[in-house]
Amino acid sequence: MSSDRRVEHVTCLGCGCTCDDLTVVVSNDRITEVTPACPLGKAWFGDGRVPGQVMSDGKPVALDLAIERLAEALVAARGRCLVYLGTDLTTEAQRAALSVADLVGATVDSETSDTAANGLITAQRRGRAAATLGEVRNRGDVFVFWGVDPRESYPRFLSRYSVEPVGTQVPDGRHGRHVIAVSVGADAALEPADSRIELTADQEIAVLTLIRAAVLGNPAGAKTKTAQAAGIIAEKLMGARYAVLVHDAEPTVEARNPLRAEALIALTQALNGPTRASLVSLRAGGNRVGGEAVLTWQTGYPFAVDFTLGYPRYRPERRGRAGIESDRYQAVLLLGSLPENSPTFAAVSRLRPTVIGPRASQAPFPTSIAIDTGVAGIHDRGTAYRMDEIPLALRSCLAGPRAAADVLQQLSRATHRLLQARVG
Amino acid sequence: MSSSRLRLVGGTIYDPANQVDGEARDLCIEDGRIVASLPDGAPTLDVKGMVVMAGGVDIHSHLASSSCNHARRLLPEEHAADPAPRPELTLEELARSGTGGTVPTTFTTGYRYAGLGYTTVFDAAVAPVAARHSHAELDDTPCVDAGIFVLMGNDEYLLRQVAAGERERARDYAAWLLGSAGGYAIKVVNPGGIEAWKSGQRNLSGLDEPLKGRGITARDILETLATAGNEIGLPHPVHIHCNNLGMPGNVDVTLASMRALAGRRAHFTHLQFHSYGGPGWRSAAVPIMEYVNGHPEVSVDVGQVMFGPATTITADGPVEYLLHRSSGRKWLNLDIELETGCGIVPIVYKDKAAVSALQWAIGLELFLLSQDPWRVILSTDHPNGGSFLSYPALIQLLMDRSVRDDRLKQVNPKLLAGSALADGLAREYTLNEIAIITRAGPARLLGLKQKGHLGVGADADVTVYSRDPDIARMFASPRFVLKGGTLIVEEGQLRRAPAGRRLRLAPAYDTALLPDLRGYFDAYSTVSFANYPVQELRDDPLPL
Repeated sequence: MSSDRRVEHVTCLGCGCTCDDLTVVVSNDRITEVTPACPLGKAWFGDGRVPGQVMSDGKPVALDLAIERLAEALVAARGRCLVYLGTDLTTEAQRAALSVADLVGATVDSETSDTAANGLITAQRRGRAAATLGEVRNRGDVFVFWGVDPRESYPRFLSRYSVEPVGTQVPDGRHGRHVIAVSVGADAALEPADSRIELTADQEIAVLTLIRAAVLGNPAGAKTKTAQAAGIIAEKLMGARYAVLVHDAEPTVEARNPLRAEALIALTQALNGPTRASLVSLRAGGNRVGGEAVLTWQTGYPFAVDFTLGYPRYRPERRGRAGIESDRYQAVLLLGSLPENSPTFAAVSRLRPTVIGPRASQAPFPTSIAIDTGVAGIHDRGTAYRMDEIPLALRSCLAGPRAAADVLQQLSRATHRLLQARVG
Repeated sequence: MSSSRLRLVGGTIYDPANQVDGEARDLCIEDGRIVASLPDGAPTLDVKGMVVMAGGVDIHSHLASSSCNHARRLLPEEHAADPAPRPELTLEELARSGTGGTVPTTFTTGYRYAGLGYTTVFDAAVAPVAARHSHAELDDTPCVDAGIFVLMGNDEYLLRQVAAGERERARDYAAWLLGSAGGYAIKVVNPGGIEAWKSGQRNLSGLDEPLKGRGITARDILETLATAGNEIGLPHPVHIHCNNLGMPGNVDVTLASMRALAGRRAHFTHLQFHSYGGPGWRSAAVPIMEYVNGHPEVSVDVGQVMFGPATTITADGPVEYLLHRSSGRKWLNLDIELETGCGIVPIVYKDKAAVSALQWAIGLELFLLSQDPWRVILSTDHPNGGSFLSYPALIQLLMDRSVRDDRLKQVNPKLLAGSALADGLAREYTLNEIAIITRAGPARLLGLKQKGHLGVGADADVTVYSRDPDIARMFASPRFVLKGGTLIVEEGQLRRAPAGRRLRLAPAYDTALLPDLRGYFDAYSTVSFANYPVQELRDDPLPL
C-alpha cells in the first residue's frame, strides 16, 4: 500500500505562466513528483521541505514574542520603514503586508522596480493593447516574438498559451499560425519560426517605428535594410486576423533599449486600426504580478509607494535599488524570498532586515528577526496572479510551518494595538 | 456608539416603499434591523427636524473589478492630486489610507460611499474568469454590502449554445456561471458586439446583423439571456448595456432591444448613452421615455453625464477604440479569453463641448420625463458619466429647477435645439421621489427585500441628512449614517468602517451540463475547470 498523496489542479509559480494543471505527488511529507514537469516548475516545487523556525538575533523565540518585538521596532521607526515585497507570497499575504506598511508610514517596494517597471510606466503614459493568454491562444494567427525565445524562461508558453495548441478561431493549431522570430542584438530569436529577421540593437527602434508608420499608412520609401525588414513584418502583421506581439518584460543579460516597450505598445495600438492586435509582456513568477495588483487596488500605484505622509505617494523616480541604498531606513521588512540574482539582493541584505517568508531563518545574510513561513501555492493556500493578471487559486500541497498571510495579519493587529496604546 | 439598540428621535421619515412621505416619527433599531418599538430607556439619537431615509443603493457602478484596477493603474496623475489619508475612525478601528480621483482605491471607495450615505453597491461588469479579483477588492471595500454582475453577452460557450439552439443548456450554463463567479445578476454588454470586435468584424450595427461565422444575432443573445434570467428566477432581471453605445442614431437599436424583450422583465442600463437620435447628434429622450413609461416590465438607470473628469471603463471594447481615436486620449484594450473584453479611456466632459452638453441634457430629460420613478433609477455609471461623488450635484439638478436652468444657460447649446430640456421642463423631484430613485427603487428592482426601506425587519441601513436649502450640500454630507445598526457616520464624520456583506447567488442548474462544459474547458481554457469557480467567499449565498 502506497502512502503517496496526489494533489491535482495545482498552480505553479515557477514563472509567470502560472500553469494551474499540475499534479503533485507527496510521499512522507516530501514532494516526489510534479507533472507535467517543466524545469522551472520542478525547481519551484523542489521537495517542498522548508524550515519552521522563528529567530530573533539568531536565537529561537516564540512567534508571539517575535511579532511583538517586530511591531515595536516598526512603530519606533515609523516613517523610516521599508517594506520590501519579495517573491512567493500569496495575494492575501501581500494585502496584510500593505496594512502594516500603511500603519507605520513605510515605503513599499518590490522586485518590479528593478525589473519590469519601465514597461509599466510606459503603459501608464500611453495605455496598451493587450489580451489574456487564453485569448492569444484562441485567436492569434500571426505571432511576432520580439527579441525573445520563451522556451527557457517561460517553458510552457508555446505549448499551453500561444502557438502550439488548437484555438477556438485557430482549428489547425500551429499550422494555422505564422510565427516571425526577430532577434535583436544578443536577444535571441525563437527557434523554429516561419520567418526570421535579425536586427542589431542599433536597428531595433528604427524598425519598430517604420513598421508603425506603415501600419498608419506611410510605408517606408527608402530601400535600406531596416526599411526592408520593417516592410516584411508590417505586411505580415497587417495581413493578420489577430496579430500577437510577444516580448520579455523582465530583464535579460543584454542591456535593453528602454524605448523598446514604448515602441511595441505604440505599434500594437496602431495595428488595431487595420486589424486586431495584442501585446504579450512576459513576466516572471512568484506572484510579483499579484503584488502589483494589490498595490494598485490599495494605493493606486503598482510599485514604489511611499506612505510616509500618511497616504500613498508614487515615487517611481527613486524606486528599487536606488531608493534602498539611500540610507533612509531604520527598519526593513523583507517579505517572501529574495532571489540571489535579484538586482536588490545586495542592497537589502546589507540592511539586516527582518524577514518573514519561506526559509527566512536560512537567509544568507544577517537578520534581526526571521519568521519562517510556507511557500505560496506549495504550503500556503490563497491567490496568485498570472502574468496577464488573471487571478488563480493556490492549493496547499503539504503542511507548512505557518502561513505568511496569518503572520502578517497578526503583525498588523499588533502594530495597530501599539499605535492605539500610544494615542490612548 | 454601536449599541445593538437605538431610537432615532424626531426625524422626518421618507420611506416610499412603506408609503411614508415625510412623517415625523421615531425609528427603532435593534440588532441591526428596524423594529416596531423599543423599551423605554433605550439609547437615543436626536435627529429632530432632519431627513431620514434608508441607506442609498447603487444599482450600477464600477468599483471592484480587474477592469477598475487596470483603470487605477492608468491614472497615477489623478491619484496624486487626490490623496486620501486614513479617516479618523474610533480608536479600535483600523483605518486605511488610499487615493481618489475618478477610480479611487478600494478602502477609499468604501469610505466615500459611506460618507455619501450609500450602503449597498453593485459592480456592474465582472468577467467571470476574474471574479476572484473582484471579491478580493470587495473584501478591501468596507462599509458597503456589495455584489457583482457577471458578463455573459459575448461568452464563447454561451454563443455556441445560442447557435445550436440549446436554450436550456444556455440557461443552465448561465446559472452555473453566476454561481461560479459568486455573482448576483446576469450582465449583457453590447451583445455579440465584443465578439465581433475580437474576431475582426469590429462591431454589430444593430440587433439583427449576424455575427460572422456563427449565424446568430444580438437579438438571439438578448432573448436567450433574458429568458434564462427569468427562468432561473433571479431577483434582478438581465441587466442590459445595448449595442452601439454612444453612437448617434442608437435610439433605434435601443428601442428594438426593448421591443425584442417586450413582456419580459429587463433592465436597460445607462440609458442616456443609448438615447441618441440621428443623423448627427440629437436627443431621442422623448421616444425612449414614451416606451419606458408605457411598459412596466422595463426598468432603467440613467447613466447621467456630469461635467468634469471621468474615466470610461467598459467591456465594450469597440466603443473605447473609437473614443480613443476621436479623443486622442490614452487607451487600454484588454481582450479577455472566451468571455468578454475591456476598454478604458479617461476623458473630460466639458460644458462648452457640444456633445458633452447634449449628453448631460439627455440624461436630465430621461429623469424629468419619467412617469414612474420606481423604474428610472439614478446612476452616473460611475466612473463613466462621472464619479459617484457627483450624485449630490445631480440630485440638486433634479430637485431645483433654478439651479438647473442656470446651468443650462452655461452649456454649449449647439446640439440642444428641439430638446425637451431646452424647451423647458418644469418638473422638480420631491424628496420622496429622490428616496425612490436612490434607494427604494433600486432595492426593489434588485429584489433586495431588506434594503431600500425602513419597515420592520429591514436592515438598519439608515442615512440622516440635515435640511439645507443647498440640496447638493445636504446630500453630500449626511449628518449620520447607520450600517446594519452601527453608527458609522457621526456628525458628518466617518467613525466606523465595518466589513460589508457579499450579496451573491448560487442558482441550481441541471448537472447534465457539466461533462460537455468540462470538455470545452479542457479544449480551450487556460484555467482548469476545477479551479475556475471562486471558492471560500466570505458570506453564504442568498436564498433564491
